[in-house]
Amino acid sequence: MIRWLSPGCLLFASICVAPLAAAATVPATASTAAPAASAAATAPAATTSSAAYNAPAIVGNAAAGRSKVYTCHGCHGIPGYDNAYPNYHVPRIAGQNQKYLMDALHDYQSGNRSHPTMDAQAESLSDQDIADIAAYLSSFAKQ
Amino acid sequence: MQQRFLTISLCVLAVLASNMASASGDISAGKQKAQVCAACHGADGNPSDPQYPRLAGQYADYLAQALHEYKDGERKNAIMAGMAAPLTDQDIENVTAYFSSLPGKLSDLHGKVQGGD
Repeated sequence: MIRWLSPGCLLFASICVAPLAAAATVPATASTAAPAASAAATAPAATTSSAAYNAPAIVGNAAAGRSKVYTCHGCHGIPGYDNAYPNYHVPRIAGQNQKYLMDALHDYQSGNRSHPTMDAQAESLSDQDIADIAAYLSSFAKQ
Repeated sequence: MQQRFLTISLCVLAVLASNMASASGDISAGKQKAQVCAACHGADGNPSDPQYPRLAGQYADYLAQALHEYKDGERKNAIMAGMAAPLTDQDIENVTAYFSSLPGKLSDLHGKVQGGD
């Protein structure tokens, strides 16, 4: 009995259960379990962080995004800038991948991730704003 | 006078020690540990799939903060929680130092904002 409570088994079980709990409308089958088991070998097809919302097909406009990032510049525009608390650098976001930026902003809205300033910033953004900002920021990787 | 000097020098040492503790990532050890990361984040920290974030050239302490948040559950992501769970604090220092050292496409917004700077 104790063996089943070992950390490895508990970790494996929690990895199996977590995506099943997230996809509440999908019947649980063996094929949807344990995404982490294959994650190390191949890139998984779906991300779980954005499972909470179903985004309609909004197309991001980089030109519109350029005018929307002005407030971002205050923290993300200063090279080497530290958050006052907690004490770590504000991340570089220009050139970051588009879908990841969109997922991150939606995660701040949904509470999947949290930071006081970013929670407030993301709350004011519409889905179109998020798509435009992500399109503009990710465009710097192509230069 | 001597006590004051002692107090000040102890404070200086404490500040230096805390700075040293945060800059102790071993890049070569990090490279070893980071091999599992390549499947999603790319062998050079620049993934081709846009849902996975670029890690190359990101601030190491921000990457470490992110890994700690995945490990503690403050950021909810089943895949990253599993990836971060077996990492010790030193592992986190090492892998983040490694990814931070890689050349990448990330930069800050200096000079990229309409209407300012």
